[in-house]
Amino acid sequence: MTSLTHLQRLEAESIQIMREVVAETENPVMLYSVGKDSAVMLHLARKAFAPSPPPFPLLHVDTRWKFRAMYEFRDKMAEEIGMDLLVHINPEGIEKDINPFTHGSAIHTDVMKTEGLKQALDKYGFDAAFGGARRDEEKSRAKERIFSFRTAQHRWDPKNQRPELWKLYNTRKHPKESIRVFPISNWTELDIWQYIHLQNIPIVPLYYAAERPVVERDGALIMVDDERMPLEPGEVPMMRKVRFRTLGCYPLTGAVESDADTLPAIIQEMLLTKTSERQGRVIDNDSAASMEKKKQEGYF
Amino acid sequence: MLAVKLRLDGLTVAAVSQRTGLSAPTVSAAWKAFREGGWAAVPVRPRGRLKGQANVLDATVQQLLWDALYAGPAADQPGWNSAGLAAYLRDEHGVELTQRAIEHWWESERLKHEPWPLEALAKQRSQRGRWYRQSVAPLFAKLEQAEQRWQGGVRKVAHPHRLVYQLYLHGPRGRLWMRCYQHPPVASDYLTAMGALSSKGPVALVFHGAWFSASPEVTAWLAQQTMFWLVQVPADSSVAS
Repeated sequence: MTSLTHLQRLEAESIQIMREVVAETENPVMLYSVGKDSAVMLHLARKAFAPSPPPFPLLHVDTRWKFRAMYEFRDKMAEEIGMDLLVHINPEGIEKDINPFTHGSAIHTDVMKTEGLKQALDKYGFDAAFGGARRDEEKSRAKERIFSFRTAQHRWDPKNQRPELWKLYNTRKHPKESIRVFPISNWTELDIWQYIHLQNIPIVPLYYAAERPVVERDGALIMVDDERMPLEPGEVPMMRKVRFRTLGCYPLTGAVESDADTLPAIIQEMLLTKTSERQGRVIDNDSAASMEKKKQEGYF
Repeated sequence: MLAVKLRLDGLTVAAVSQRTGLSAPTVSAAWKAFREGGWAAVPVRPRGRLKGQANVLDATVQQLLWDALYAGPAADQPGWNSAGLAAYLRDEHGVELTQRAIEHWWESERLKHEPWPLEALAKQRSQRGRWYRQSVAPLFAKLEQAEQRWQGGVRKVAHPHRLVYQLYLHGPRGRLWMRCYQHPPVASDYLTAMGALSSKGPVALVFHGAWFSASPEVTAWLAQQTMFWLVQVPADSSVAS
């Protein structure tokens, strides 16, 4: 009898979690943010329920400020896999033209992501939502359980979490309560990359190093993805070889200088790196424990 | 000695020069010495500087060089070259430095940038070869003199102690000109360098590393030029790698 590799163990755990959710909840959904974790989640979901397509739709909470390459990739994937893709944009955000430049990252994230997500979950009546958060990303995510229970108002109480001993998950919930489920919570960024490489999972090209127009903002390299990005007087974007370790709204996502333009090179880079991918996210640095505060209010 | 042996084998001076990497005058001198005095007369000297004899520039002089690079040269110059820097140090600070010493210092500070062998792309059956034939070659055909053909770019130098953004230019015979900044260059920085180039007559500049089409100042200036042509190296063409 051969023993499983660590990736096979992680894969088996994630698949078991997904099947458990489908068995125990009435109306699950998978949040699809188009990033590498979502790509892995989607791949796992397809494996978990093969040969049928996964018995839940995908939900993309769109802020209108994602990278163009992400939108192209999202539409291509939705067409290829044949799953329902629900796209929700907070109508209040559209009406007030909420954007990261004039309103700041905190308001933009709150209105377009947190409120948008809550609206979408309420609108479709989802009682469980799969998310691609991982413990190694950020400290508040590290202490969150795989099954994260939310009140009817979608609030998270970090002091009131259920034990998950021996990987037994208590899925009972009160009416109107919902569960956020993180099947890849125990994966690391390196695991994700190794799995993508081994399983040949398609990802957004922004993860690979290439020459891209960037400007510097508070030490972060921000890609000028479209004409909406306001430049300082006289500023000329520089073409630098960069890649993204994490993908979000482009004005709030910092690139890293890198030559890693293949998956093996990215894995090599991961082996040497000592920082979290979330260091590239402006929204995580708004204030101390900002992620935990956002999560309590309903952010993923 | 190898050069003389090859000459004895009947190779021409040019062929020996190409095979040994020695200059033609050196090959000729060795051959002449052999004919006049035999093997004993062939000058064979150890090459390069002996270990431990590296000439490290004094910290004050290095600071003067950095100050000059950050401040930039006279307005009519596109940047500093080693001759200009040597003359500036001698005239303004009484410091005697050879151009070679300055170039060695550039190398040690990671400021030395090698020109791209653009002409070598002419026959390449690749994306960059096509780019050269379509965008650069017709322009170079119009501007035949070496003084009219420039290449350059902007980059962040991976310096261990300093924040250095470098605007580098390669003029005739690949000579390096540069300006340094502690911030990413802005439109006026580029325009100063390009203005100095264009003041010398018709010039074509093949440039890498800046996205000028996002800058209204640079695009407006370029639109007014009738004797200055800018060709941007396409992203990821690996021309500049």
